[in-house]
Amino acid sequence: MQVDIPQVLFKNRHLGRPATIDEYMAGGGYEALRATIGQRTPAEVLQLVLDADLRGRGGAGFPAGRKWQGIPADHVGTRYVVINTDEMEPGTFKDRVLVNVDPHLVIEGIILCAYAVGACEGVFFIRPSYEGDAKLIEQETQVARERGYLGKNILGTEFCFDVHVHRSAGRYICGEASAQIKAISGLRPNPRKGGPRTSVRGLWDCPTIVNNLETLANLPGIVRNGPAWFKSLARSESGSGTKLYSVSGMVARPGCYELPIGVTIRDIIFTHAGGMPPGKTFKTVIPGGASTPYLPETLLDLEMDFDPMKKAGQRFGTASLMVFDKDTCLVGATLSLMEFFARESCGWCTPCREGIPYVRELLRRIEGGEGTEEHIGMLQEMLPVLDLAYCAFAPGAAEPLRGLLTHFMDEVRAHITEKRCPFGNPPPHVRGKACGTRPPQFGPTPCPEDQCPI
Amino acid sequence: MSPLPPELSTELHRLVTAVDNPREAAVDVMYALQHHYGYLCDEAMHRAAEVLGMTTLELESLATFYDYLYRRPVGRYVIHVCDSVVCWMFHQDSIFDYLCRTLGVPPGGTTEDGLFTVLPAACVGNCHNAPTMLINGRFYDRLTPEAVDAVIAELRAGTEEPVRCK
Amino acid sequence: MPDLIIDGRPVTVDKGVSVIEAAERAGVMIPRFCWHKSLGAAGACRLCAVMFVEGPVKGLEMSCMTPAADGMVVETGHPKAVAFRRQIIELLMANHPHDCPVCDEGGHCLLQDETISGGHSLRRFPGRKRTYQDQNLGPFIQHEMNRCIHCYRCARFYQDYCGYRDFGPMQNANRVYFGRFEDGPLDNPFAGNLADLCPTGTLTDKPGRFVARRWDCQRAPSVCLHCSLGCNVTALSRYRRVARIEARDNAAINGAFICDRGRYGFGYQSAQERPRAPLAAGRPATPEEALRAAAGLLAAAAKRHGPDAVAVVGGQRSTMETQAALIALARAAGWRAPAFFAAAREQAQARQALYALTPPRARSLADLAKADAVLVVGVSPLADAPMLTLTLRQAARAGAAIFLADPRPLALPLDHVHLPLAPRQLAAVLAVAAAGEDASGLIQQKFPLAPELWPRLEALAQAMAKAKRPALAYAPALAASLPGDDRVGLFPVLAQAGTAGAALLAPTDAPGLDELAAELAAGRIKAVIAVETDLFAAAPALAARLDALEALVVLDHLPTPTVAAAQVFLPTATLFETGGTLAASDGRLQRAEPVQAPGLSVLADGAGDHPPRDYARPLPGTDPAPAAFWCDRLGRALSLELPRHPLAEALAAHPVLADLDPVTLPAEGQRPTYPGREPATPESPPAQPAAEGLAVVMETPFFGGDELSRYAPLTADKTGPAVALLHPDDAAGLNLADGATVALDCGDAPATAAVRLHPGVARGVVVVPRLPRFDALPPNLGPCGLRRRETP
Ligand SMILES: Cc1cc2nc3c(=O)[nH]c(=O)nc-3n(C[C@H](O)[C@H](O)[C@H](O)COP(=O)(O)O)c2cc1C
Ligand code: SF4
Ligand code: SF4
Ligand code: SF4
Ligand code: FES
Ligand code: FES
Repeated sequence: MQVDIPQVLFKNRHLGRPATIDEYMAGGGYEALRATIGQRTPAEVLQLVLDADLRGRGGAGFPAGRKWQGIPADHVGTRYVVINTDEMEPGTFKDRVLVNVDPHLVIEGIILCAYAVGACEGVFFIRPSYEGDAKLIEQETQVARERGYLGKNILGTEFCFDVHVHRSAGRYICGEASAQIKAISGLRPNPRKGGPRTSVRGLWDCPTIVNNLETLANLPGIVRNGPAWFKSLARSESGSGTKLYSVSGMVARPGCYELPIGVTIRDIIFTHAGGMPPGKTFKTVIPGGASTPYLPETLLDLEMDFDPMKKAGQRFGTASLMVFDKDTCLVGATLSLMEFFARESCGWCTPCREGIPYVRELLRRIEGGEGTEEHIGMLQEMLPVLDLAYCAFAPGAAEPLRGLLTHFMDEVRAHITEKRCPFGNPPPHVRGKACGTRPPQFGPTPCPEDQCPI
Repeated sequence: MSPLPPELSTELHRLVTAVDNPREAAVDVMYALQHHYGYLCDEAMHRAAEVLGMTTLELESLATFYDYLYRRPVGRYVIHVCDSVVCWMFHQDSIFDYLCRTLGVPPGGTTEDGLFTVLPAACVGNCHNAPTMLINGRFYDRLTPEAVDAVIAELRAGTEEPVRCK
Repeated sequence: MPDLIIDGRPVTVDKGVSVIEAAERAGVMIPRFCWHKSLGAAGACRLCAVMFVEGPVKGLEMSCMTPAADGMVVETGHPKAVAFRRQIIELLMANHPHDCPVCDEGGHCLLQDETISGGHSLRRFPGRKRTYQDQNLGPFIQHEMNRCIHCYRCARFYQDYCGYRDFGPMQNANRVYFGRFEDGPLDNPFAGNLADLCPTGTLTDKPGRFVARRWDCQRAPSVCLHCSLGCNVTALSRYRRVARIEARDNAAINGAFICDRGRYGFGYQSAQERPRAPLAAGRPATPEEALRAAAGLLAAAAKRHGPDAVAVVGGQRSTMETQAALIALARAAGWRAPAFFAAAREQAQARQALYALTPPRARSLADLAKADAVLVVGVSPLADAPMLTLTLRQAARAGAAIFLADPRPLALPLDHVHLPLAPRQLAAVLAVAAAGEDASGLIQQKFPLAPELWPRLEALAQAMAKAKRPALAYAPALAASLPGDDRVGLFPVLAQAGTAGAALLAPTDAPGLDELAAELAAGRIKAVIAVETDLFAAAPALAARLDALEALVVLDHLPTPTVAAAQVFLPTATLFETGGTLAASDGRLQRAEPVQAPGLSVLADGAGDHPPRDYARPLPGTDPAPAAFWCDRLGRALSLELPRHPLAEALAAHPVLADLDPVTLPAEGQRPTYPGREPATPESPPAQPAAEGLAVVMETPFFGGDELSRYAPLTADKTGPAVALLHPDDAAGLNLADGATVALDCGDAPATAAVRLHPGVARGVVVVPRLPRFDALPPNLGPCGLRRRETP
């Protein structure tokens, strides 16, 4: 890792374990909070965040300050903050690393957000495979509570706020903000569209701010050092701040890196992540997590930032780079992604519930050497259908498929003409997909398309 | 239905009263009962319905939605083998098949001694250590057949206390 | 008021109306699965995609999720929209079994329609189809999950609209399954609507399954007879047998739904036991013989003892045609005027309840759903007017405060406040509701012994005072105590479907059944003619003395004990065979059309074999005729001068109904202009003093409680147990434990029941189901009226 890159969120990473509250405070931790509660008005905090142009790190890149402004000013009564730590998008693991580096940075960020929006209760929504991190957060919030940073009358002021952990039981769709609110409410996590935003009517019908954990972890820095400092961290013109990049796949040093917004993709892969492993050649990268398209080699010098990526027809997403080498079959990779999306869908709308399994079936055939030219047409026709789904889940699933059909059609055709996978992959299994949840007495038995015996 | 152990009853009561609305505790209560019964049997569902004031159908709506709530018997160790794209790239398939072969179970099956269930799982958030699997809350990184053998042997030997997902 | 253009047609709609609805008003039906007029938009199926070419929204969008806005130009037939919709159909059909030939929905299936009209005819998807296992959902709804297209209509109706929680979606992704936790009957008494709602053959009407294709059925618009609300239904009949009942839209009354009592109570029409042959002297006879015998007996009694010796009893489940004909016959013959009600006071109350419905105060069910505070007094919605329950739920969902004052325990799927009070205390609740925000003094004065109810009563007074659209639903017994305030909307709930008609048509001086019983006991009545009423249920005291009669002439279509006791019997046709006019409880007159001829179903004729081909015989089972027809023929046999159209003439001469023409009633019915309080109405009866012992309150079982469904095979056995409900305090006073067997004093033969304790019962009250065995219970059980019975 290069030393000249400012480490803001990962300041304490060198410890190699979660920083304690004292270690965090030794580096200026909770100073922002002390300088805020009882010193600044919530509106001033909000203005700092607006000026810093902090954009959501959960995928959509919506400006955090603008979201907070959505709370009706005249609302009296409870307001909630939901800390989105679902992080189920394949290729993404930054939130887990961040919690494990500096839990109190996260906690301070949450409290600052709650202060700015006037929330009295926070819900830390966390996925089941992060049970260890859930425990860590529970433990460290207790420490913060004992130090008077959480609970009633924080720092002796009128401000009261506490946070509790809500354990999820899985499924990617629970990361979607409105679905997450339903999940917390003990309802089926089908997203909600139309009607008031969650900042107006969210959890228990009260105004609710849902932010990604990393988004909130940026707040202490912004409040302490100011918006100008935050903007100066970025390399691109429109960007601000640093970002945690999850790098995985065929690279020499997979891992999570804190780098400025606006570094080039080439820089990330070939400088910071050590380039390709010995003997491997680069083919493509999915730059922003599973719901972003494959990026052709020609775009490697693109700046990793919301707007430049969008302009180039790419997506910044969660900045999770999955690198593929020349020996990896992209039909197979796309199929694996479709298996994921098909299994994790909430099942509400037709394009996603029926369309993704439809795409998956065609890809299975193509990968197994049974594809036809007609199947390519059918796949292409399915793209606009997935795009018009109820929520952003299916459009996200469409992205890798679109990337495959746009940039790697040769590879697809090779499967059809050779009647087998040119990379030598065996025909895909039609195999059980984690539906161990199904009771025996009813339901699709055996599992309708997976033929899973459980 | 046999009575629940008093500690569990207390714990369920605590879970329900810790939140503003009992519904929020639905998943936690089901986790706790799953831990007690080994999986969410019908009796567990009826218990959860009683505790939460919800109908069994409402709970079934949730339990069958999520993949970390098991409505069918599972082994003491549920092995969630990640089959998402990064792990796939590292031949997760062969890890998965290897597990099934060594344990002698079909995908989703449970070993006869009731120790292991093998389930394919969505990305578990450990992609930089692919291929990976998750057993009762613990990650196992950069798997190879030898590493899998070692893990299974270790678990079999009972050196590892079961740390179930709470 | 947004102005927009849909397929070239300009349309203006209210703010908030969706484009799919706006299109419907412009005469354009946009394909849809999940959107439903009453359930609203879900955005799940994505079939309603249309192209927005101009205006604030651009591009392909869902018309159900997009509110109409000014300047929108919408093309439903844009090539991109058509292609998109075709693909949605392809996706839905990818897993649909396409088993239309064996599917009961076939022929009236929205999925079929959209598939064919969308041009999806060849399957190109190579994958396998998904299969599910089905569940047994009880006697009314058949489940075939493979056909499901996951529009979520059923779940939204069941859980959101109705508020029941034992049926819904399970699983996720493409495994989503709609059903129950385990096999078993559905809790929701409105579940039958699932068969109408489901756009596929997944949820179909189980009793109607494989009985007839819908297109083979004769169909007619009809009106439900199973309570006083007058919900609109479509009757479907095949081979002279009613095959099923479906909800028929009436925006003012039932909207798109009906209750299961109304849907499954039709079986009396084709029941084996239905009396179809005339009887004379207790033996089968030709219609002419029976008519001659009836005329002879009635004339003889009148001649020997005077015309006053002939008493006439009419029914509250008859059409107004029947009621008017009977009234005309009695008048022409000089007999006593027909008794329709248990007591003359009840008749006056029912009329008063209707006359109160002046234009500013009358509310329909649909209006009630828009009220912001509703007080229901003396009505148990699920028992007395099932669809009122759904209406109240919609009001509650929109934020209305709902209060119910009734002695019976209520299990309603909605947020409400229950005031468990004895019948004699209910009038005081009305006074509290009208008292304004500060009613605490009045409350303490009126309810000194029920301090536990004071907070609820205060909440009631405040809610009613604050409400902008308060409304009152009431039993007729409370009609005299209604507040005079024009702000408060009124909605009466009457006893039966024909109650309003009887109250409007019966002469004001008509006797009550209690009076007839006394006259019979005194020997001044020698002959009775009873039309479509069971004396044993309606007038037990009268029925107990039938032996003393010289003549009992009965007209009916139900196999009641009264029919069994008749000397002369004339079979009448059912509403399905005659049609007719009915007055709903909200004062509206509606018309039902006949759906079939009265003949015996071919299934019954020939007893399961092919029909006998005895050409010499007239068509079997054709003797039943409209009751009004028999009245007319009887009049002729007695050489009386009768009006040709008794109802038309009765309406023309009526002070309130004169403007109505029963033949040209509009589809949504017509409510006459009621005058308010009748000048000559009796004042409210003096509040009964708290009597010794227990007041008896009847609760109509949901199924088999009303007379018609008591004789319908599907519902007759679903009345529930014979239990006597008591407040725990009363039970303790009587030294009765839950489950104890008691004998209730019903005159000669005490009826037994099991005691159930329920805190929702008013003190001083015993609640029993309206079952034949309890018909003879007095209104008050004295101190010895309820005794413990040792269980044998
Ligand atoms: C299918 C789907 C899954 C998502 N998963 C996550 C997630 O796991 N974590 C997350 O922070 N945001 C996720 N999001 C984005 C959230 O909806 C929401 O935009 C975000 O949490 C807002 O926080 P931010 O503005 O701080 O990014 C997901 C969105 C979709 C459509
Ligand atoms: S696209 Fe539709 S089915 Fe998929 S997750 Fe979103 S709402 Fe659910
Ligand atoms: S059962 Fe019928 S109503 Fe329910 S989702 Fe399926 S198709 Fe729609
Ligand atoms: S509510 Fe009354 S009128 Fe309506 S369907 Fe039910 S029984 Fe018939
Ligand atoms: S893809 Fe396997 S852990 Fe993320
Ligand atoms: S009708 Fe609009 S999405 Fe189904």
